[in-house]
Amino acid sequence: MSNNYFNTLPLREQLAQLAKCRFMHISEFPDGVEALKGKKMVVIGCGAQGLAQGMNLRDSGCDVSYTLRAAAIAEKRQSWKNATENGFTVGTYDELIPTADVVLNLTPDKQHTSVVNAIMPLMKQDACLSYSHGFNIVEEGMKIREDLTVIMVAPKCPGSEVRNEYVRGFGVPTLIAVHEDNDPKGEGLALAKAYAVGTGGHKAGVLMSSFIAEVKSDLMGEQTILCGMLQTGSLLCFDKMIEEGVDAAYASKLVQYGWETITEALKYGGVTNMLDRLSNPAKIKCFDLADELKQIMRPLYNKHQDDIINGTFSSVMMEDWANDDVNLLGWRADTAETAFEKTPAGDIEISEQEYFDHGILMVAMVKAGVELAFETMTAAGIIADSAYYESLHETPLIANTIARKKLYEMNATISDTAEYGCYLYNHACIPLLADFMKGIKTDVIGRGLNLDDLGVDNARLIEVNSQLRSHPVEAIGATLRGHMSDMKKIV
Amino acid sequence: MTQQDILRLNICLNNLSVNFEERFELHDINWQIEPQQHWVITGTNGAGKSALAAVLAKVGDITAGTIDGLPKQVAVVSFEAQAELIDAELKKDDADIMDVISEGTSVHDILFESCRDLELAKQLSVKFDLEKLMDRAFRKLSTGESRKVMLIRALASKPDLLILDEPFDGLDVNTLAMLQEHLQTLVDTTGMIMVLNRFDEFPAFISDIAYVDNGRLQHQIRRDDAQAFAELYQLLHLKTTNLSVPQADVETAIPALDPNQPLVHLRDISIKYGDQIIIDKLNWIIKANQHWQLSGPNGSGKTALLSLITGDHPQCYVNDISVFGFKRGSGESIWQIKQFIGYVSTALQWEYRVGTSLRNVIVSGFYDSIGLYSKFTEKQGQIADQWLDLLGMSDRADQPFNKMSYGDQRLLLIARAMVKHPPLLILDEPCLGLDDMNRELVLALIEKICADSETSVLYVNHHPEDKIKGIDNFLALV
Repeated sequence: MSNNYFNTLPLREQLAQLAKCRFMHISEFPDGVEALKGKKMVVIGCGAQGLAQGMNLRDSGCDVSYTLRAAAIAEKRQSWKNATENGFTVGTYDELIPTADVVLNLTPDKQHTSVVNAIMPLMKQDACLSYSHGFNIVEEGMKIREDLTVIMVAPKCPGSEVRNEYVRGFGVPTLIAVHEDNDPKGEGLALAKAYAVGTGGHKAGVLMSSFIAEVKSDLMGEQTILCGMLQTGSLLCFDKMIEEGVDAAYASKLVQYGWETITEALKYGGVTNMLDRLSNPAKIKCFDLADELKQIMRPLYNKHQDDIINGTFSSVMMEDWANDDVNLLGWRADTAETAFEKTPAGDIEISEQEYFDHGILMVAMVKAGVELAFETMTAAGIIADSAYYESLHETPLIANTIARKKLYEMNATISDTAEYGCYLYNHACIPLLADFMKGIKTDVIGRGLNLDDLGVDNARLIEVNSQLRSHPVEAIGATLRGHMSDMKKIV
Repeated sequence: MTQQDILRLNICLNNLSVNFEERFELHDINWQIEPQQHWVITGTNGAGKSALAAVLAKVGDITAGTIDGLPKQVAVVSFEAQAELIDAELKKDDADIMDVISEGTSVHDILFESCRDLELAKQLSVKFDLEKLMDRAFRKLSTGESRKVMLIRALASKPDLLILDEPFDGLDVNTLAMLQEHLQTLVDTTGMIMVLNRFDEFPAFISDIAYVDNGRLQHQIRRDDAQAFAELYQLLHLKTTNLSVPQADVETAIPALDPNQPLVHLRDISIKYGDQIIIDKLNWIIKANQHWQLSGPNGSGKTALLSLITGDHPQCYVNDISVFGFKRGSGESIWQIKQFIGYVSTALQWEYRVGTSLRNVIVSGFYDSIGLYSKFTEKQGQIADQWLDLLGMSDRADQPFNKMSYGDQRLLLIARAMVKHPPLLILDEPCLGLDDMNRELVLALIEKICADSETSVLYVNHHPEDKIKGIDNFLALV
């Protein structure tokens, strides 16, 4: 059975690892991909992420090939086609792993234990094993052979964007880390940096983190604000509108596309800009709702963070993995049966501004969720940069998934860890907000305030604006977005 | 539809002003399209030709005036509609969230879903030689192939009014003749409005010409009024600029190449998709200071061949290719290769959907990026401004690129490609979608570049009449 690595560390070391995260300037990458020159890189798995990274690395001058399970090759599965049609060498583990200087494990978390156990005996002495997520090392306590260097390189975007941004001459923000227990020759950082350059990540910003900070912050973000809050909010907002007699097709559309529209404002100018899109009376209303939501939900965010830090979350989830995903699949099926999921969005036209004006409660939920996740993470010792990326930065990505696929498909396509955590959050949060929702009417969700007089009290508006702008997530957000200010809107 | 119906087709635009999402405005249009008339709308790039045609398809917000008599069935073929369909296909691609590579809608489904005349669609698919592509994903088609699909879709919808915005661009000679012939058969049943830039392409049945300038319908002339027709032609040909190409930036010059080494050396190269062989064992050497013209029908692999050179085609790693002294797949990066190439194509224009300023678009040519992600030097900014002067766009230097007309975007992308004075300039159908005046401007510009001994030009084109002085090497694909 697995053994939680984080829990084996002394407290001081735990805190030191959690606090690791530093934004690296592009000038810190003068050697480019030099550390990987002449090295043979073998990627395990060829889905969208694996293919995108491999193509970028090859275009940067690296020697890349793909290894798949023998069955995937024999049956010419999609992963085999992806790799061969793009002119890559493909071979079995036995054929390619022994030749590899760097092995890139880009398979889903759930397969890591079996994949790593299969390849480790085949790996060359002194080679390097790279992950894109640290769950296997941190939560499952996978022990890697002592001669091997273990690093993580995690582009913070889906595979198609990783490729498209590279082709444009840019990249996507990327997190790198070295597993200090497995850095026998001290070359882990140089390899991780070169890998990030090879995928174009250095142009968009690299965060140097630790395996632990990555796992603990990633889990927290995905299960609370990113997936959990948006799922819970979708169900509550839709049901409320139906209860109040709003047209179902309109309600479905407002929720499905609303998250994407309002978080687009979040992406460009933080929580402040998102609320600035509202009229003054609506902004004050939204601010008060968010305050109330934060008070009600704070214990839930604390519980999620505690369970993640002490390993309860991962051990419960791994029990379900061992039990054929009974809980996960059951919850997934339940999602398909919700009224929101079953009501198709209508073809009513909703203007960009109307999503804000008629979705005040949704804006409040995003504000409350982002701020709570950020506050809870930083209180647990995770550094602000990390907490920003795992909360505010990624929210628009999930919102975009809901706009395209609604909840069922959103859950089926996010990682297993995110989906499991999302359901835990959802099941706790819906009853928690039951009383709060009783007081909600269509002025804040579905129909808008419709005021004749948009006047507000000056003092109150100043107070709200100042609180909005002085939240710590806004300060770090402004800094990090500033680093990427050269990134133009590409639509 | 019976002949009586076409006789009744009588569309009247009365003092009409239309706003296109703050991007463009048409003012005070008075226009009567009478029974049995078929119109061409023409004008310079950005004048509002496409906008005026689009009004007949109920696009845009009417801010004043009226429009009456629009029929129910209106079909549109345009670069914008084509780009929209491709864009919709790209949006459907769930590769990013599903972790699978999706193919998108097939040509068959695009053609036959919600088609009014299946039999006609079938016949046209045979005529247009699209049958073998039925299972191909629509977005995998070449520019010319997807244009054919759009045309068939429009024709098979049996419209009362058919709007064709530059329908002939991107079609090879045979297809063009066949389409002209088919349109001729519709003259008694379907009203036709065409946006055309090339006077020599006006079909015989065109009865009237509308000349649009600056969002206004300036002139309406009868086809049979010879003098007015000639004047209009001249007006469009008026050249106002004395061309001179801005210099390269000496501070950020491209590394020097060995003059005796070929720029491009392809040895026995092949391109295959599954079992289908597009190019089989081709050898090609492009030497420094040579200019080449590459031709071939739609789907013959012209663009694929070019992308082997630029490094954008994944099969460049499984072929024997040397470019600018780099043997492909020997540890070089694509940025080391792209620094020696300037590149313009329709596909690039579709990719280049950025809201950045015109100046930045030109500067991005120094960095080979789509959009600009680097701080640029003062000198580079100055050179970009000189290019904007040349293009007559200085007053729009800070406006967003994606709000420009299609033709203006093309001119800007050519400037972007040339701004660093690359050893090799690749122009993949650079005149596609341009009007007469700008087409001549572009061709004159390319001739100037050819005359300048430092840049080799590789020019891809369907139109045999678009000849360029100075190009004396030819490669034809079949």
